[in-house]
Amino acid sequence: MIHMSGVSKVYGNGSVALSDISIDISKGDFIFVVGPSGAGKSTFIKLIFREELPSSGELVVNGRNITNMRPSEVPYLRRGLGIIFQDYRLLPDRTVYENVAFAMQVIEAPRREIQKRVNSVLDLVGLKDKYKCLPTQLSGGEQQRVAIARAIVNNPVVVIADEPTGNLDPETSWDIMKIFERINKAGTTIVMATHDKTIVDTMRKRVIAIEKGRIVRDQVKGVYGYED
Amino acid sequence: MRIRTIEYFIREAIVSLRSNGLMSFASISTVALSLLILGIFLILVLNLNNMASALESQVQITVYLKDDLSDHQMREVGTRITKLEGVNQVMFISKDEAMERFKGRLGEQQTLLTALGDTNPLPNAFEVKVDKPEKVKLTAQAISEFNGVENAKFGQEVIEQLFKITKMVRIFGVVLIVFLALAALFIISNTIRLTVFARRKEIGIMKYVGATDWFIRWPFLIEGMILGFGGALIAVFVLSRTYSAITQEIYSSLAFLPLIPQYPFMNNISIFILIAGTAIGALGSTISLKRFMKV
Repeated sequence: MIHMSGVSKVYGNGSVALSDISIDISKGDFIFVVGPSGAGKSTFIKLIFREELPSSGELVVNGRNITNMRPSEVPYLRRGLGIIFQDYRLLPDRTVYENVAFAMQVIEAPRREIQKRVNSVLDLVGLKDKYKCLPTQLSGGEQQRVAIARAIVNNPVVVIADEPTGNLDPETSWDIMKIFERINKAGTTIVMATHDKTIVDTMRKRVIAIEKGRIVRDQVKGVYGYED
Repeated sequence: MRIRTIEYFIREAIVSLRSNGLMSFASISTVALSLLILGIFLILVLNLNNMASALESQVQITVYLKDDLSDHQMREVGTRITKLEGVNQVMFISKDEAMERFKGRLGEQQTLLTALGDTNPLPNAFEVKVDKPEKVKLTAQAISEFNGVENAKFGQEVIEQLFKITKMVRIFGVVLIVFLALAALFIISNTIRLTVFARRKEIGIMKYVGATDWFIRWPFLIEGMILGFGGALIAVFVLSRTYSAITQEIYSSLAFLPLIPQYPFMNNISIFILIAGTAIGALGSTISLKRFMKV
């Protein structure tokens, strides 16, 4: 599903964010990306949805070669990905329903299908009753669930999450993780950068540790491995 | 593209225009003002051109006759000229009359003529007017081949001078119009920049969920085009009202001024300004999108 070989990223100012990363992520994998702040986790995540381009090396996501991808192809790459951020990134002037439907509208899905899918994913994340609410009327956990609903509404093959529980209390974080697990059980690959030791140590998924731009550990049923 | 998508684009554009009300108003007004000045200048240039060609058509041919012709022969040449196609008017200027005119033109420097003594070197001549300016040259050539005609000159210098002036007016006009178009462009692109800025979060999300660049651009393009078209509409309204008032006034008081009639002239100007306004709007938002849409 995601294939990197010899991938490096050097930013314009000369700072090396990633060097010589090689990794294969298969369909249905659930992966935690861990490591100290500034180690390159975010860059790793951003490369996958082509927010950043690799400086060298080969990167294939969902059968698409990112290295030589034309900018006009990027939207079609992203339609196969669901992207979730720490800060939710919801549109404050639109309801829960509209925020989720938005992701389908902009790829010109038929109205009937939008209705069906949005109701179904809102049900999945447990927000069926709050579809009329504005994001400001929701708790942080609920907002993140809206963001998750929006990320999966187009049936992505990979969900990429950058610290999705970073702003949430432990209990709410667990609710969110249960949703991720459910999505993963349905066959969706999940790549999640996180700082949450408890979650990683409890769920025992594959763990990729990045330090100073290099993969220092790639562990099946791994643990967080850092003190908080 | 689906009809519903087009609806979505237009709705988004209008929502954005409304939420940016003051800025939208400011840019429509400025575009209106710019296009108004552009229109005034355009009308002026076209009318000047019109007047210039009207003057051109009044340029006459001067036919100089050989010195040894009898009155009868001279009259014969005159008759032949009159019979030429397109000739409107033929007037005889005797060498004495020519001398009088020349003296008049010299004014205080008439003493220069004392060197001539009693002799009059000026020839007898005909002044010929034709109905169409493009016939001047051919008619002059035909006449110059007549028996008894020394040569036939037409006011080539005058025409060239006129062309020069017209050209200068045109160049000045183009420079001014380019300048004003740039000003309108700048204002619209600035407004769209504000809209893009206000909606940068939305644009970011659209990009993350896989909206194509064109899908993101269209509402902003439409917004720019509405601003341009709106401004143009105001300019067109003011211009055609004003022009119709001016032409009516001039036709009744200064009938000799050859103004271009309101129809279809102002219709063409209006269509031109509406298209120009819309194009400027589209271009203005394109500039902003190119510069600011990188998320």
